[in-house]
Amino acid sequence: MLLEVNNLSVSFGGVQALNLSHFQLEDKELRVVIGPNGAGKSTFMDILCGKTKPDTGEILFNGKATNGLTEVEIAELGIGRKFQKPSVFSSLTVFENMTLAARMKKDVFSSLFFRMTPAFKKRIVAVAERVGLAGVLDKQAGALSHGQKQWLEIAIVVLQDPKLLLIDEPAAGMSDRETERTGELLLELSKEHGVIVIEHDMHFVRQIANNRVSVLVNGKLLMEGAFEEVRNDQRVIDCYLGRANAQLEKL
Amino acid sequence: MNTGIRLILCLLLSFLWLGTAYASDDKVGSCMQQVLYPQNDEMRAQALSALASLKPSSSVLRFLEAVNSNSLYLYKDKAVTLGSKKRNGAEDVYLIYQLYPEQMVLLDADAQPLMLPVTALQQVQISRPHRLLLAPLSSWIGIFSMDPQKRTMAYGQVRAVSDTMLINALPLALENETDASALRAGKEAWYALRLNNAASAQTAKLLIDSLETNGGDNATARLRAYAKKAGVPQEAAVYASAKADKLDNHYAWLQRVQHLFSGISLGSILILVSLGLAIVYGLAGIINMAHGEFLMIGAYATYCTEMLFSNVLHVQNSNWFFITALPVSFIAAGLMGLFLEWLIIRRLYARPLESLLATWGVSLVLIQTARTIFGDLTAVKLPDMLAGGWQVSPHLVLPYNRIFIILLTIVVVVALYGMLFRTRIGMQIRAVTQNRSMSACLGIDTRRVDAFTFFIGAGLAGLAGCAMTLIGNVVPDMGQTYIVDSFLVVVTGGVGKLIGTITAGLGIGIFSKVLEALFQAVYGKVLILLLIMIYMQFKPRGLFPDKGRIAEE
Amino acid sequence: MPDKSSKLVTLLFVLFFAIVLPAGHLMGIVSINTISLWGRYCCFAIAALGIDLIWGYTGIMSMCQAFFFCLGGYCMGMHLLLKATALQGQELPDFMVWNNFSSLPAFWQPFHGFVPAVVLALLVPAVIAFVIGFFVFRSRIKGVYMAIITQAFALGMYLLFLRNETKLGGTNGLTNFKAVLGFDLSSSNTKLALYFATVAMLCISYILCRKMMASKFGKVLQAIRDSEPRVGYTAYRVLNYKLAVFVVAAVLAGLAGMLYVPQTGIITPGRMSVTSSVEMLMWVALGGRGKLKGAIIGALLVNCLYSLCTSLFPEGWLFVLGVLYILTVLYFDKGFTGLFDKFAALLRSRRKAVVEGVPSPHAENTRVSHPAMARSSEGN
Repeated sequence: MLLEVNNLSVSFGGVQALNLSHFQLEDKELRVVIGPNGAGKSTFMDILCGKTKPDTGEILFNGKATNGLTEVEIAELGIGRKFQKPSVFSSLTVFENMTLAARMKKDVFSSLFFRMTPAFKKRIVAVAERVGLAGVLDKQAGALSHGQKQWLEIAIVVLQDPKLLLIDEPAAGMSDRETERTGELLLELSKEHGVIVIEHDMHFVRQIANNRVSVLVNGKLLMEGAFEEVRNDQRVIDCYLGRANAQLEKL
Repeated sequence: MNTGIRLILCLLLSFLWLGTAYASDDKVGSCMQQVLYPQNDEMRAQALSALASLKPSSSVLRFLEAVNSNSLYLYKDKAVTLGSKKRNGAEDVYLIYQLYPEQMVLLDADAQPLMLPVTALQQVQISRPHRLLLAPLSSWIGIFSMDPQKRTMAYGQVRAVSDTMLINALPLALENETDASALRAGKEAWYALRLNNAASAQTAKLLIDSLETNGGDNATARLRAYAKKAGVPQEAAVYASAKADKLDNHYAWLQRVQHLFSGISLGSILILVSLGLAIVYGLAGIINMAHGEFLMIGAYATYCTEMLFSNVLHVQNSNWFFITALPVSFIAAGLMGLFLEWLIIRRLYARPLESLLATWGVSLVLIQTARTIFGDLTAVKLPDMLAGGWQVSPHLVLPYNRIFIILLTIVVVVALYGMLFRTRIGMQIRAVTQNRSMSACLGIDTRRVDAFTFFIGAGLAGLAGCAMTLIGNVVPDMGQTYIVDSFLVVVTGGVGKLIGTITAGLGIGIFSKVLEALFQAVYGKVLILLLIMIYMQFKPRGLFPDKGRIAEE
Repeated sequence: MPDKSSKLVTLLFVLFFAIVLPAGHLMGIVSINTISLWGRYCCFAIAALGIDLIWGYTGIMSMCQAFFFCLGGYCMGMHLLLKATALQGQELPDFMVWNNFSSLPAFWQPFHGFVPAVVLALLVPAVIAFVIGFFVFRSRIKGVYMAIITQAFALGMYLLFLRNETKLGGTNGLTNFKAVLGFDLSSSNTKLALYFATVAMLCISYILCRKMMASKFGKVLQAIRDSEPRVGYTAYRVLNYKLAVFVVAAVLAGLAGMLYVPQTGIITPGRMSVTSSVEMLMWVALGGRGKLKGAIIGALLVNCLYSLCTSLFPEGWLFVLGVLYILTVLYFDKGFTGLFDKFAALLRSRRKAVVEGVPSPHAENTRVSHPAMARSSEGN
């Protein structure tokens, strides 16, 4: 079991943002989390990566409790996070972005005396090719297109070599072509890492949901199951329809 | 020639008086005459000694006090002395009290007390050896001064000794005492004097009680002195020191109230200054280092209003200028704010650190401009209605100017809340603060809202500047003194939170004053800073932080 | 191409300060006071390097750098004053005698020796920066909050140093220095030597800073400026990095202050006022943030201007400075070096156009080529 979550809850100003009684993820599993706006999906990831402190509950990552750890400690344990809004180091080049991200000793002195080795460079170029950024390695990250930034952020997360990838809306703002490539990338990644993906785009979900899909509504887990099962569930349809989201209908 | 004749006449007259005056009144008169226009030094010495040895009467003692303190003057050939002082424009004027022939307050043509500068009087020169003749009285004669402040001081210095002259004179002084604080000091001296000569422990206790209820400035010192004195009954001594402790305790409490009060008044000023900063920062992400200069502009607007009223319109009543200055300073600073917003600041929206530097530049230019126009130091006259203070108890006076500042702050805060939460423009301001682009989409003219907010923010600082003239000088860099403190208030309170700003302003004001009372002013300031830094360890986002999604905006 | 030209500029710069100016002095064209003046400006440039590291590269606006500068200055000042006192055969410095001190305060004792004084001049700012930085960065105070807290801190320290109880000379500060390491401070040879020492320290500091910023450490700092949370999720301990750069900046400021004092002969609390700290930021903003050369040029330029203005029209200096602040922020966001780069890019594109045989380059033509060029020069 890679990740196990029990009785997790957090509230902001009296509003229960998340109340998750149980959630678990196998190693090398790709899990898609869907749900209407404000369902607590991003909050869930915020808690997992240490950005938000939960009010109650426990998180076991590889059997180790992560409660009370800082973002850095959680990242060191092997949880990587990609945010909804792409966050990359815009004044550095793509190559530098990826160099910083790669797994290595990250204290001040190691950074001061870091020497680039050919092997290291090779690894970065390999990852860059995988996410389709090999051609823009010397470009400033801030000058990339939106989709490229998304990929760069995924690359940053992947280079950290985490056991669990938390990916928040990777396909937002991408063209169909880009979305499809992202899907392929995620599927490939799930062969080596555990992956949790938050997504709204149901075409994209169908593409990548090779395993189970979890549905979050109002901070609670509504149901879990295979994509087809979820898609045909009346409760899920209701709660999406109730919010005038016709995406499920269309499929 | 003329003076020669007058001199001879005087001589003649005084001879006559000296020779024929048997009645004591006449003798007093003649002696006074002799002191004023002496035949020779010998005669003046004799006259002075004679006056000093007479049975004490307040009229004689007043005269002698004037001699002793070298404040005997001639005005239209009458002997006069100075009463309480008042400031009139550039010079000090005094109430004039006539000592001889009759004793009375001199009035002017409108039957109002006559106020004159010292230069209008002619001093009667009395040499030091002559004044030394009054040495036996000099330790307490000040209680017959015509200036209430001097009397209060003299009463305080009366030693509890067995001096018959003093014991006879003190009731005379008290009989005619009109000033409240002088009366209190006088009574205290009188009780102490009697306590000193008290025959029984019973009487002593009664007097000790009187001393306590009277509550004069030196009551505890007098009680402790009495308790330590040799030959005092054990019972009375213990009673006296117990009462002294009780009084000390009481005074300590009053002191605390006083500190709290000055803390609240400092806090009020901080709130007035910080409110503008807080709403502007919340709305536009501008760190306005020139905000303090709006305060300075407000203060100079007040100064100009005063000049206009006193020098151009010749309005004597000083209340009017201040009442006018309140809106004038608000509008002057507000317009300056609008101008700067249009010229510079609107280009810096949502770039707080850059805006900090640019507005610092603005502040330098404004300060230098003010210095060029007004010079280094000016002061605004305190309006009559705000002079003095509310005497809550003998030892607790709350100055009216500070009370006014507190009230002004309350009014401003209420008005601001009303504006923000009850009016359309207020709602628009809140909307733009929360989400600028969404507000623009909904058809809110954000440019207008920004300008309006800036006007209000700058105006509030101007109002604070107007209030500042009540308690300090007007100097070009007065804004810089307050700017760092106000930013601390904004930071401690949490950005864009009015209630936080108000709480933090009050808190920092009170803490500063209390710490300054405990330590020295500078260390108090350093300590406050330390406290804020420790506090920020626990609440880095201020007193009332947002949570969840709003926090990320 | 830009690399080559920037190297040339650096070389010319070093040549001018290390050879042309001193040579001018030896030939009698440049007075020793001018040399000393430039020596002082170079001190400011060293401090400006530190500010560029912390503000330009890391994006942390520290408004107490002038305080660190003064700490270094005071450490050196204490040493010089003790030496001067000993030379005059007195036991206590004058200001202590006036304030009725009976003996030398304990914290003055280490400053009898030159080496301890130098070490302390660097160590004291470092330690204080470490403590302040630790608490401020730990509670994740950043941006505006950081600026205001450090500003308030600088103000508090300034007020503290104004007091006589601090035993550092109060308002008058420390002055009346006589000699350093036995060399008379008023002799022109000593002044020249101090000038050389300063220029050398400036060059060394510049090279070290450059190496540091080119290393992965520098990249992490820039990453912190761009997206601090992302650096944290990438498993870097942001606190340590910020602390490190804050301490380095403080040490640079201390070093600058230490070199500054023997050349001016006085150090007062006025140097650490809030205004001075803001002015120091302005050097860097004016020279060009995030470029080490910019910091140096900014410091030299503003101070040159200051000398010029105060001698020509003393009343107007604050106007000039104020307007300069405003214009820099509003129009020259990248400062002087940014302007230079833009200009160079423009020139290059024109030359290119001429070479390619375009008869007369239209305004449009330059406008089109200009952003791309500007971006490519930013990258360097």
